Amino acid sequence: MVKLKYILIAIVIVGLGLLATRYLFQSEEKRVRKQFDRLSEYVSKEPDENVMATANKMQKLGSLFGDSCELQVSVEALSGTYTREEIASYAARARSRFSRVSLEFYDPEVVFPERDVAKVTLTARLTGQTRAGERMRETRELECLLKKSEKKWLFTHIAVIEVLQK
Amino acid sequence: MTLHSRIRRFFLPSLTPRFLIRVCFVAVFAYLFFGHVLLPIRIQGTSMEPTYRNGGMNFCWKLRYLFSKPERHDVVAVRFAGNRVMLLKRVVALEGEQIEFRDGELFVDGKEIAEPYVVYPCNWNLPPRRVEKGSVYVVGDNRNMPLEHHYFGQTTLKRVIGVPLW
Repeated sequence: MVKLKYILIAIVIVGLGLLATRYLFQSEEKRVRKQFDRLSEYVSKEPDENVMATANKMQKLGSLFGDSCELQVSVEALSGTYTREEIASYAARARSRFSRVSLEFYDPEVVFPERDVAKVTLTARLTGQTRAGERMRETRELECLLKKSEKKWLFTHIAVIEVLQK
Repeated sequence: MTLHSRIRRFFLPSLTPRFLIRVCFVAVFAYLFFGHVLLPIRIQGTSMEPTYRNGGMNFCWKLRYLFSKPERHDVVAVRFAGNRVMLLKRVVALEGEQIEFRDGELFVDGKEIAEPYVVYPCNWNLPPRRVEKGSVYVVGDNRNMPLEHHYFGQTTLKRVIGVPLW
């Protein structure tokens, strides 16, 4: 009986140790994933969002990107290289058309092809409702490149993978 | 053993090691089976109406194409980056075939194909294109929308992960 008690205490201590390690020492993969959580948070919008909150979110959104970020999509007019200020400005304009927007990411697969570079493949789903009341739901597969700069992972390339080609 | 005690034993079993092992076995089996073989899915969107309604529940049977390839008129699940989000579409053309739409009618290799599952009116016109090797051409059943607003096209067989169970 005494032995069992010690075994249980040991299991609890090891479990707590593992949990503490998990939360205190974030792996690089976790840091990369966290950037997507932030991107989702800053793009998403609730109907009651005020102007100050919008400005704050757009400023934070810009800080997720590198000095320049290349966007590669099937619509040629949208493809190109943008500065973080341009991205924040475009995002603010796009969000203003919607009363509610939600960006969610699924199944992220993170690999590190070289030092300080992360390549993430994932599914992105944008849902929302325009101010005119029209509902929108778009799902796309994305391939993103993030580069580590001053201990922060910043988006430098986002490409939309064509799952269905007309 | 009385009926009452049997019912009681069924709903409130004693926590014997044998019972716990059985619970663990069932949990592992359910996790593997419903996580990798028969995925529960919730249908979102109207692109497969009226065959599959928005909000419906189903399962994705992943072993369907273990020893065979998709055939014309099969409804298939096309995956994005992972398994959590997938598209439900119908195969209308196979590899090497030429597909086109003329006034809403489907033509494969120049021959008109009957599509009894397309109920809503359609007036699509799509110039002919050949399906590449290792790919299939998929379209939704609901074509009562402009061609540009419907997500359809050619996809690789690697992305076809299964079929809806019913």
